[in-house]
Order: sequence, then structure tokens, then C-alpha cells
Amino acid sequence: MATEHEQEFGAVSRVRGKVFEAVSFGSSVLGIVALAVLLVFVVVDAFGLAAADTGWILTYVAALVVPMLALWCYRLDDQWLVRRAGAALLVGAPAAFLLETALAAVGVSIPTLNWELLYLFAVVVPVTGTVLVTGRDGPVGGAANGLFGRILGGAVFAAGLVVVFEILDPQLWFLVYSLAVLPAVGCVAYARQNPTSILGRLRIPVGVLGLFAAVAIHRVFLITVPYWVFHVWALAVPVAVATAWLDDEPETDAGWMTTAGVTLLVLVVGSLAIGTQGIAASYGLLLLIGLVPAGRYAFDTAGTSPERIGLLAPLVLGIGIVIGTIVANALGIAGPDPWLDSGFLTNPPSGTASEAGFYPAIVGSVLVIAVVAVLSFAFGVGTAIFLEEYTADEGLVGSLTRLIQINIANLAAVPSVVYGLLGLALFANMLGFGLGTVVTAGLTLSLLILPITIISAQEALRAVPDDLRRGSDAMGATRWQTTRNVVVPEALPGIFTGTILALGRAIGETAPLLLIGAVTARTAAPSGVFDQVSAMPLQLFNWYGQPEPFPRGVVPAGVVTLLLVLLVMNGTAILLRNRYERSDG
Amino acid sequence: MSAEPDAPDLTRDSALSDLRERGYAGFFVGCAVLTLATTLSIAAMLLLRSAEFFSEYDAGSFLTGTTFRASNEVFGILPLALATLFVTITAAIVALPIGTLTAIYLSEYASGRVRAILKPLLEILAGVPTIVYGIFALVYVTPVLQLLFPGLPTFNLLSASLMIGIMTIPMVSSISEDAMSAVPDDLRQAGYGLGATKFEVSTGVVVPASVSGIASSYILAVSRAIGETMIIAVAAGTQANMPTVREAGGVIPYVHPGEVLLEPGMTITSAMVHTRGGELTGGSIAYDALFALGLTLFVGTLVLNVASDVVAERYREEY
Repeated sequence: MATEHEQEFGAVSRVRGKVFEAVSFGSSVLGIVALAVLLVFVVVDAFGLAAADTGWILTYVAALVVPMLALWCYRLDDQWLVRRAGAALLVGAPAAFLLETALAAVGVSIPTLNWELLYLFAVVVPVTGTVLVTGRDGPVGGAANGLFGRILGGAVFAAGLVVVFEILDPQLWFLVYSLAVLPAVGCVAYARQNPTSILGRLRIPVGVLGLFAAVAIHRVFLITVPYWVFHVWALAVPVAVATAWLDDEPETDAGWMTTAGVTLLVLVVGSLAIGTQGIAASYGLLLLIGLVPAGRYAFDTAGTSPERIGLLAPLVLGIGIVIGTIVANALGIAGPDPWLDSGFLTNPPSGTASEAGFYPAIVGSVLVIAVVAVLSFAFGVGTAIFLEEYTADEGLVGSLTRLIQINIANLAAVPSVVYGLLGLALFANMLGFGLGTVVTAGLTLSLLILPITIISAQEALRAVPDDLRRGSDAMGATRWQTTRNVVVPEALPGIFTGTILALGRAIGETAPLLLIGAVTARTAAPSGVFDQVSAMPLQLFNWYGQPEPFPRGVVPAGVVTLLLVLLVMNGTAILLRNRYERSDG
Repeated sequence: MSAEPDAPDLTRDSALSDLRERGYAGFFVGCAVLTLATTLSIAAMLLLRSAEFFSEYDAGSFLTGTTFRASNEVFGILPLALATLFVTITAAIVALPIGTLTAIYLSEYASGRVRAILKPLLEILAGVPTIVYGIFALVYVTPVLQLLFPGLPTFNLLSASLMIGIMTIPMVSSISEDAMSAVPDDLRQAGYGLGATKFEVSTGVVVPASVSGIASSYILAVSRAIGETMIIAVAAGTQANMPTVREAGGVIPYVHPGEVLLEPGMTITSAMVHTRGGELTGGSIAYDALFALGLTLFVGTLVLNVASDVVAERYREEY
């Protein structure tokens, strides 16, 4: 700095600093705002919101959003928030209308957005989001959020089960359950009662043997169990037992039996009841299994006084939808014309836009991600454990560690398309796993996200306090025993969070899949790991160049589906991290 | 859960447990070595197939050829390289200033609460799948740009470049912000003590003190922009266009940016994606050409990544 020559104090102006602060703030939000605007347009297109008549959105805001927000705000201490939210909802609609009129008077019109959509996305969505997030601090909102979270999670889980049983033969699960899972669990349970027994240490051999036996029997004999036996024996009973076992409340055998019995009864009777309504009873059972956590939560919360009101949230939602529909029909207001509907999620792709669906792509993505999850978790955590727990500062191991560490940093920056070339040459052509099969895709994407998985697992392992390791060492534990009993359990939530975030990266990858020869459009879901696979991003790549209405209808629907899947995955990861951090501090 | 906690199995009595100990250690070393094997096999595959390619195709006409048309087996990399260059420059013009200003705002101006909201939101920008950005560019951004540039074709490099710029903002901002946060508070206080304003401290003290981190983030962002594939593959079409090379003052050759950005085009990465169709079982020259393109890309990004490391290490101010 200039210290030698005299410097004169000029006039200090605030303007320059203020302008700079404003400009840098603007830059910080510029990218976010751009993305938000693009997301609004893609959502409007995916749900065909622009086709709704004027008044449709206002009707549903009045019938659905306002009662819901009122429920969340009930007994909430934050009066400031409640007043602001109410005022924004009231003033927002006329303000949006005036804005559009004013813009039209100047001759500007925003394409596809009318004032109602402007109101929806600029006022209703942010206000609802804020109230839902802030409202969890209140007793009622907290209970409502808890219930909705469990319903949502359960629905996702049930959908996953449906997909799994679409691909896997349910008979195989019947055999695996009867021959492997049940005996292994029996060993563990017996060892709990008699700690000296050797049976407890046999749980893994018993399970593995059972697994092999089940697969062998499934290959050789064609055993067909009646579906109701399969469902009750291999799905409903274990879920009922697990529910009772995970429940802290019943201390007595009688209470335990009651919980299990009631759950079993609800599952069986409920699925039979759903079976009469046109949906297959098997899907009804899976759906009910998904709803078990929500049911337990409602059952537990129903006793506590202010929270109890929060359990009305699904009812308010349902009544709101019914009233909204009745009012809209009575006034003759047409609703939106969504591209993203149940047909889109269950149909195969088609050249006709109105029949085009995403189903094989969704199943393909799920299968590939399952393979990637297993592989990248095993190898990522293995590498991280070596680098954090088994390493040394010097010698051969020390230099190996440093080399691997540099290597991982560089691998993380290799363009994904290059991994595609690796998968193409190595897995598809050289090792003969086939072009575009589930295995090839899974292996390629695993290598792609391995550096990210390793780095996040390392961070999780590093966060485990050293005292715990020393304590375990002092007990005479070996390095593996310390790692297994102390370090890994402590780091597991962090490892899971990092792995899920990395899987989110894998699910959106397109270029490597294109290069390993995955087909962009498949009309059937893959039936095994050596089958050719499509995936959500690949299906989008197949559609993007087709004529209208693909770019403004089918493609946005696919984009929104992909983003929703990502949202669920990342939301799970963030929930896991928050819960873990809270219990830590 | 059971009332009593499970006592961990701490027996170390037999040869079996010793074997187990070694077995697990071996597995972990194996996992770690797998990452090295990945790098080696990437390098080996790229070199092997590229060698095959250059034994059939003249390296000179690969590097200086002005036409790229896989169906005619003509593989001149020059139009692809020029498109890559202009896309990267455009993305950098968007991402570098915005990313730096964002980093300054987050590190110097933002309150803890604002930072806690803005940082995860910025991470979302990097988490959106790139094919989604490509579709955004094609379906929503290009029509807006067509208002500014009448006659802009549906597939063009400009909207793709802008999207790449937006996608790379968080890369610049997060690494730069880390570097700025690492600047000790003493330096800022010294600046205030001399009578400097917050603006002067931010731009005159913090930014120069963290310049190595900022530079390394720039290089990484550029490397990421070069390697970006799907945005261009979706939004910029399937033709490789060679712009007219003019000469400024009759000596220095130059290319008008508009002739590249306002036209359809293919970069090195998107050419790989669009060439692949039907050429994947091996044996054809187009298959080997993929690997030659991949090698070019791999070497280019590797050099930039190493450069970024070197800059961050060598020019780092130690406090």
C-alpha cells in the first residue's frame, strides 16, 4: 500500500458503496431468479395451467389454500407472519391484475402468463411455502407437517414397492422371505433371549444359504403360491410385526400382540376393501403398507391436545378439493389441461403426444440408480475408510494415500462424457456387458459419482471425534472392530446424506448413457439387469426435437417429473442431515 | 428396541479374527486402488483407440480440418474447437463477474440469515440436471433471444452458452467465497483503521488477498464449461459450422463471434454425443474418432484442473 507519500482525504461518498452492495446483491440472486422464472414456465406448461379459465385459480385459493394456511397458523405465536401472509394473499390478486392491465396499456404482454398465474407464482406459492416452513414451529402446523411428511414418504415408498414387484417376480420374494429372511431374523431373536447361544453368530450364513436356496428353487421349480398367501404371509405379517417391534409403547406381550394384530387386520381388510374398488388388492396392500407410518403417527398424536387439530390437515385438503370442484363446476369454469397426469406416468412413450408416457424411463432410472447406489456406496465408503482409518502418514501407504487423494480430486473434474467413453469401451465392448444394458449404465454412473461419494464419506468419517476411536482402542478393539462398532455407525447419517446427493447427480446424467448406447426410447420397462434400458433424461433427449406439442407439453411434463424425483431425493438427504445435526448438538 | 444395548463383539481370539482383519483391510485397499484403476483405464482406452484413429486418419487434417461430418468420415476438429472456445468465453462472461460479485456479497455484505438462505439456493443452480438446462435454453430462452436477434435460428449456441454461464455461477461463487472467508479479519480491520469504506475494503483488500482462490475458481469454471455436453447437444443442433476467417489489417486472422454464437453449432462434447448413433460396436473409424475427440477434451480439462491446483497452491497467501 502507499505509505510513503502523503494521501489526501477526499470526500467520502456513500453512493458508491451502496450501489456496489446493490449490484452484488443483484448478482447473487440473478441466477436464482432466472432459474425460478424458467421453473414457473415449465410448470405452467407441464400442467397446462394456461388453459384454465379465469377464476379457476382464485376458486381454489379460496377453497383450498386459505383454509390450509389458516390451519397451519392456528395457535402459531408468530402474529407478524400471519398478518403479512393474509395481507399478501388479499392484496396480491388485484395487484397482479392491475400490473397486467398497466403492462397491456404500454403494449407489453408476458407470453403464457396471465395475471392469475402471476398471482399464483409470485404471491400464493411463496406465501404458502413460508407458512408451511415457519408453521412447523407451531403445535398444529408441526403435527400437520409431520403427518403430511409421513404420507408423502409412505406414498413414495409404496410406489417404489410397486415398481420393485413389477420387475421382480413376487414368487421369488416369497421364497427369499421364507427361506432367508425369516430364519435369519429367527436366529437374531433367539440370540437375544439366549446370549450364549451360537445361533446369533450364524445369522449371516443362515441368511446367505437361504438366499441361495431360494434362488435355486425359484430357477428349478415353478412354485406358484396363491397371491393372497403371498401377500398375507410375505408382506402383511412382517410389516405388522415390524410395526409392533419398532413401537416403544407396548411393554407387555399383550400390548405387542394387539399392535401387531390390529395392523395386520387393517392391512388385510383394507386391501380387500380397496380390491373391490377397481384397483388390484395387491397394489392396495402396498399402498396401505406405505401409509402405516402415517397411521402410527396419527394414532400417537391423537392423544395430545393442540397437536390433534393438525391431524385434520388431510381432511381440510380433501374438503377443499371437493368444494373447489363443486364451485368450479357450478360456475362453469374449466380447469387446466395437464400433460403430467397418471396416464403420462404409466404409459409407454409414443409418437402421438397425447398418448406419450414416461413409464419405461422411470422404471429404467430407478433400476439403474439402484445398481449405482449399491456399487458406489460399497466402493465409495470402502475407499473413504481406507483413506481415513487405515492410512498412515509415511511409507508406502502414505504415498499411496496422497496419490489416491490427488487422483480423486482430478477424477471429480473429468467431464462426464469421457466416463461415457470409458463405459463404452470397457464395460460394453471389452467386458461384453452389452450396449446400454442396466449393468453397463450402472457401472459407468457408479464410476462417475465415485469421487463425490468418496469425498463426502471422508468428510463424514473425519467428523467423528477421535476420542471415540481412542476409547475403542483402549478397550482392546482391533482396527476393523473400532471402524465397524464405533466409527461407521457414528458417520452413517453423513455418509447416507452424501451418497443420496451424489445419486441425485447420477439420475440426471445423460451424456454418459448416450455414449454407452442406451436407447433413448424404449416401449417396455427393462425386465432384468442385462436388459437394455432407457432413463428419464434419455427419454427427454429423444423427445426434445419432435414437433409441437412435444416441446411445450410432453417435454415439460417429463422435466417436472425428473425434477420432482430429484426434489424427493435431495429433500430426504437434507432431512437426514438436519435430524442428525440436531441430535448431535 | 431391546432394553439392554447390544454389547459389541470384541473377541479377538482365533486365527479366524486375524484373517477377518486382514480381509477387510484388503477390501479397503482394493476400493482405494479402484479409483487409480479408473484413471488408468480412462487414459488407456483413450490412448489406445486414438492411436488406432490416427493410424487411419491423418493427424494434421484432424487438427486443422475445417469440416466435421461423421457420415462422410471427415473429422476436422477446427469448427468444434472454435465453437467450444466461443461458448466457453460467453459462459465465462456471464459466470465470472456474477460469481465474483456473489462471492463478495456473501462473504462481506450478507448477514448470517441471508447467507443461510442464499447459499443452498445457489447450490440448486449446480444441481439441476444439464439436460433440463438444455431444454430450458431451447424452449424458453431462444424465443426471448429471437426478439433481440431477429433471424436467430431455433438451434443456436448463444442460448446454450448463457445457460452454461448460469449453471457455472455457483462453482465460481462457492470456491471464491471460501477463499474470501479465509482472509483474516485483521486485514479488514486494518483497512477500516486507515479510513477505508466497506467498498474499499472489499475490493481493495479482500479481493487482492484472495486472488489465488478466485483465479483457481475461474479456471475450474472454464474447465466445467468446456466439458459441458447436454446443454449444447440439445439447444445448439447437430451441424458443425465453420465460420469465415477474416484478417484484421491483412495479418491477424479473426472470427466474428456472431457467426459462431448466432448459428447452430457443435462443440467437441456435443459432437461426441451426436456422432455416436450406430457407431458404438467398434471397428469403424467414427468409433475411434469419438475417442480422439475424448482425448482432446480429457487433456484440455486435465491441464486446466492441474493449473487450477497449481495456482491455488503456489499463489496462496499464508496468514
